[in-house]
Amino acid sequence: MRVVLAEDLHLLRDGLALLLESHGFTITAAVADGPSLRDALTRHRPDVAVVDVRLPPTFTDEGLQIALEARRATPGLPILVLSAHVEQLYARELLTDGAGAVGYLLKDRVLNGDQFADAVRRVAAGGTAMDPQVIAKLLNAGGANTPLSRLTPREREVLELMAQGRSNAAIAQRLFLSDSAISKHIAAVFAKLGLPISDDDNRRVMAVLAFLNAS
Amino acid sequence: MTRHALAAPRCACLVLFTAAGFAYSLVMLISVTLVVPFPAAAAGQQRLVALARRLARGWTGIDVPDVSRTPPPLPQRRADGWYAHGVTLYRSPRTARWMSAIDHYGNDPAAAVEWRWLTLAPFTCAVPVLLPPALIAAGLLALRAGPWGWLAAGGAVTAALLVAPTSLRWYGRSTRVLLQERARPARTGWISRAWTATWRLGGLAGLHLAGLGVALLTFVTTVVSWGGLLLAVTTLTRPVTEMYRRQAHRWTGVALPSPYRPLPPPPVPDEDGTYRIGRTLYAEPGTAAGLQRHRWVSHDPATWRDQLWAWGALVWAPLTLLPALLICAGFFGLVWQPITWAPWAVPIGLFTGHWITPFYLWHALVHGGVVPAGIPGWTSVPAGLLLALLGLALAAPLTRARIRWDALLLRPTTATVLAGRVEQLSTRRADTADAAADELRRIERDLHDGAQARLVAVGLGLGAVARLLETDPVRARQLLTQAQETSATALAELRDLVRGIHPPVLAERGLTAAVRAIALDTPLPVVVETDLPGRLDPAVESAVYFAVCETLANAARIAATVTLTMHHRDGLLRMVVTDDGPGGADPSAGTGLRGIMRRLSAFDGTLTLHSPTGGPTVVIMEVPCALSSPKTSTS
Repeated sequence: MRVVLAEDLHLLRDGLALLLESHGFTITAAVADGPSLRDALTRHRPDVAVVDVRLPPTFTDEGLQIALEARRATPGLPILVLSAHVEQLYARELLTDGAGAVGYLLKDRVLNGDQFADAVRRVAAGGTAMDPQVIAKLLNAGGANTPLSRLTPREREVLELMAQGRSNAAIAQRLFLSDSAISKHIAAVFAKLGLPISDDDNRRVMAVLAFLNAS
Repeated sequence: MTRHALAAPRCACLVLFTAAGFAYSLVMLISVTLVVPFPAAAAGQQRLVALARRLARGWTGIDVPDVSRTPPPLPQRRADGWYAHGVTLYRSPRTARWMSAIDHYGNDPAAAVEWRWLTLAPFTCAVPVLLPPALIAAGLLALRAGPWGWLAAGGAVTAALLVAPTSLRWYGRSTRVLLQERARPARTGWISRAWTATWRLGGLAGLHLAGLGVALLTFVTTVVSWGGLLLAVTTLTRPVTEMYRRQAHRWTGVALPSPYRPLPPPPVPDEDGTYRIGRTLYAEPGTAAGLQRHRWVSHDPATWRDQLWAWGALVWAPLTLLPALLICAGFFGLVWQPITWAPWAVPIGLFTGHWITPFYLWHALVHGGVVPAGIPGWTSVPAGLLLALLGLALAAPLTRARIRWDALLLRPTTATVLAGRVEQLSTRRADTADAAADELRRIERDLHDGAQARLVAVGLGLGAVARLLETDPVRARQLLTQAQETSATALAELRDLVRGIHPPVLAERGLTAAVRAIALDTPLPVVVETDLPGRLDPAVESAVYFAVCETLANAARIAATVTLTMHHRDGLLRMVVTDDGPGGADPSAGTGLRGIMRRLSAFDGTLTLHSPTGGPTVVIMEVPCALSSPKTSTS
């Protein structure tokens, strides 16, 4: 799987490249600033791009802007955005196009190499990987009188994990429940939120994220 | 049947009740004069009228609505054991309670209406209910007249029973009308404006005369004591001039800010231990402080400008009392007196046989030689109207002239304004420097105890791993996991710290996006309307960001929805945060608002809180600042 990597800190860039290569990815380009990232995305057409939000030359949200721009040009271009901090605002911007194949994680998550590689793979396959902190914030938005307040604690837990982009099997394993129990919970959540249920994991997650993004 | 039977005694009760009410209205009058029993009497009046409303509702079937009232607020005990009412402290809760009750009942708009009802009810509402008892009494008297009397008595009692319910209804209706508070239509016409201006002008003239009185006192005392008592007498007289400034502002809308210099700090000894005041050195700190305060008053130009202004009353007081005098003499004298002649002159004429002419005042003027003889008495009405109109016409120009004189002498001079500004800026600079130093200390402490310590732990752990790698791989693996966890914690701590110093989203996107980000993170719906086409100065941006954070956090504790608007116009950034909470926020109660004020005041910004009980609470923050052109994107 071919990856374009954009990170301005030399140490971190090399570390990420090492980590991804050890998990079987091929780094086609590892760039350090915004313009070269734009260049690499158009030239290499990678299977997935891992992009830091803050990049030279402006050191503002250059990486995010280029990621959004590239996805506008190529809808569904898989991009995983990394940042030292997470903002609901940015997450909502990434989710707005509803095309999937998007991720937004804290840089801390690379400390757990297996999970990080899993997240990159998920995004490359058209899924999503949202940071638990973002999801927690999205779930808290909107106040007391939303459909979310009608969920049971267990259903909320399932929703949270699902919104992070995890598959049914992963949720079941995490909560020590059977697959069928998870399916039942998911059906209940979708009924309470008034969403159409789908068999496809990715599409289900996108429906949930679109719901959270709108609330 | 029962309704008719009950109605007559009820009528009698209501007659007695209104009579008692009238007696109570006299008690109210006396207690208002004596002041001390006023709160108790006012509370009694409220209870009495509440009973009257209840009786009217229950017995007459007419809906006389209740007035919802709150009891006077109880003064809270402060931490130092005193009780506050306004800005004054009282040792005993009783006095504070009494003061707040006076304010409470004195400001009750319904009290006047209710007193009016107590006074008027025996002559208005009680008239219809007097009829049935009177009929019954007449019937009882007729009993003595023999058999025909029995018939008459029967008729009278039947009539009384028949008419009683109607009487009750009339009582109820008139009570409702009298107890209703009618909203007075706003008066905006030329005459009503001039009318108000006239009396205000008269009031200002009175205050000016009071100022002249204290100026006279200052003059005499200062001359007699060779200036020694100037300080003492000035502390007594300045409040009078200050009162004039406040009233003039309230009544004319022209601000007359206080011009006095702030009290200087106590004198500091020189190197040789003496205190220098002017060109003299003093050994005693007490003497030096006294002299310094004396100089504070005598060297303040405002002291002498006040005096000059007060002496101006010799010209200005008569001149500005003129409209009020013209209206009094013209309207109340020459017009009102002939109009109201009949009710008082006819009874006097009937009783004494001595008939007073309707144009009594006019004839007095003729007699005094003010008006030439031979002009008929009725001319007093048009002449009086003309005088009154002249008074009204003079009110506005005279107000303008007076306020020009006031502004000339009562406002601070440019030098005083600048001195005050320097003072204010040095205080703010000190505050800002303190706040910055505190912030740096906090950051240093957080880094030292947090991330720095954890990185040391990670380093130690990795050193141990290097040693154990060959001998004890299991233990080495454990230590590695631990090091990873520690570094994750350090990262989280650093992230929080960074957010507190300068939020990343503010650095990346600017104020508008950062405010939207806080709005999203606030756990209640926040409507954000912003109109900022460019970026602000980074320091202002940061101060404004934290001010908005704090305000939204405050609102989120009590409200269900919040609206935030942010605009930049004419070099002024203005943010308005409105919430639907219960209101009653007190800026002095929490440190939060004061922190915001301090943050904003470093940039000459202001915070205004408007929070009436019952809400909505509105916080207005304004910061003068420039807006740079939008940053051009590199893309």
